Amino acid sequence: MRLPQKRISHNPQGDSIVQWEASVEEEYKGSSRARTRTIHIYLTEDAAIKPAMSGSSLSIERKLDPKKPFFTTLGGGDPSPWPISGSLGALATTVGGVMYMHSFQGGATLLSLGLIFILYTMFVWWRDVLRESTLEGHHTKVVQLGLRYGFILFIVSEVMFFFAFFWAFFHSSLAPTVEIGGIWPPKGIWVLDPWEIPFLNTPILLSSGVAVTWAHHAILAGKEKRAVYALVATVLLALVFTGFQGMEYYQAPSTISDSIYGSTFFLATGFHGFHVIIGTLFLIICGIRQYLGHLTKEHHVGFEAAA
Amino acid sequence: MAMAMVRSGLLRTALRGGSRTSSAPPKRGFASSGHHDDACKLLLRGLIEFISDLNQYETAKWEKISYLGIAACTVLAIYTLSKGHPHYDEPPAYPYLHIRNKEFPWGPDGLFEKKQH
Repeated sequence: MRLPQKRISHNPQGDSIVQWEASVEEEYKGSSRARTRTIHIYLTEDAAIKPAMSGSSLSIERKLDPKKPFFTTLGGGDPSPWPISGSLGALATTVGGVMYMHSFQGGATLLSLGLIFILYTMFVWWRDVLRESTLEGHHTKVVQLGLRYGFILFIVSEVMFFFAFFWAFFHSSLAPTVEIGGIWPPKGIWVLDPWEIPFLNTPILLSSGVAVTWAHHAILAGKEKRAVYALVATVLLALVFTGFQGMEYYQAPSTISDSIYGSTFFLATGFHGFHVIIGTLFLIICGIRQYLGHLTKEHHVGFEAAA
Repeated sequence: MAMAMVRSGLLRTALRGGSRTSSAPPKRGFASSGHHDDACKLLLRGLIEFISDLNQYETAKWEKISYLGIAACTVLAIYTLSKGHPHYDEPPAYPYLHIRNKEFPWGPDGLFEKKQH
């Protein structure tokens, strides 16, 4: 066991949070094979805990039932209300959205309420996750693995989502129908020059990827300030990309209502733009967390997911 | 190359630890301490130092590539934007263009469209 070390960080209100970090070995009896693993424990300074720390051995009993899904419970094991509140928000958003688009009475209200509900759930759920990982130290290697699997599944679902858009594009462009003049692009459609803004946006997005790799290595090397600078560069490049895409959408000669060309083009590039915006928000949060000292050499799953 | 460096580092450290044990066979006690542990510690320390050095090197390398990327993007942006943007003629009103089956809840124009009327 490593001796407990004191870490001082600050919360957004400016109060200093004193934490004790210790690594201990934990026996994991959940599976048929009993095994031991090293876990890091972070404790907030507390009068009741402090005397236990002064001794040479620190014994902390942790109750983590491996049969119980971790993410539907709060750190302590209480059932979390956020999955059901998020589901209700999604239901209200979907029904409200359809009602709004069909000019039903109250559609806009239901849509707004649903979106507010979802945004609130996102805020409090991730707030809980951050508390569980930083202050309570519940994110053991097994929990980190679960988070990683979850995010990998999300990425795979995105790959399939975009695969469908490429499929639609090739289906429509490789054998254009008579209704659009039998040619691609359809007659009367002006196509954006790929060697102008798209060619500029490609290296911008690639540079953003390079900068996030720089941030990753800086975190691994323990260079905390450098990692913040790298994340700022990453986010700025992503914002420039979004700005150029917005400008191009504004100046584009066609719209999503212009034939199958407009439908496939704006659906695919629009969802890609949305994907970039979500990634930018995620990286902004990572940058703030890096600035606050939440991310360490060994523990930065949130950053890896954003990258 | 990185793997080769790890291997050579491991080999060197292992040999350093191993040479001491090979000269005189150690007495084996019940406690698992001794030369074997020393070698392991040395090996682990070498590995940690190596990974730390590697991360420092990679950080500096990717920082340089980032600056290069930003510089290249700036030059390309100045070139592309200085060309100005082309103007397109209004196409004939083909039935598959500017499709409107129903009024939008917010008015006659799409969200990302310029005013058509």
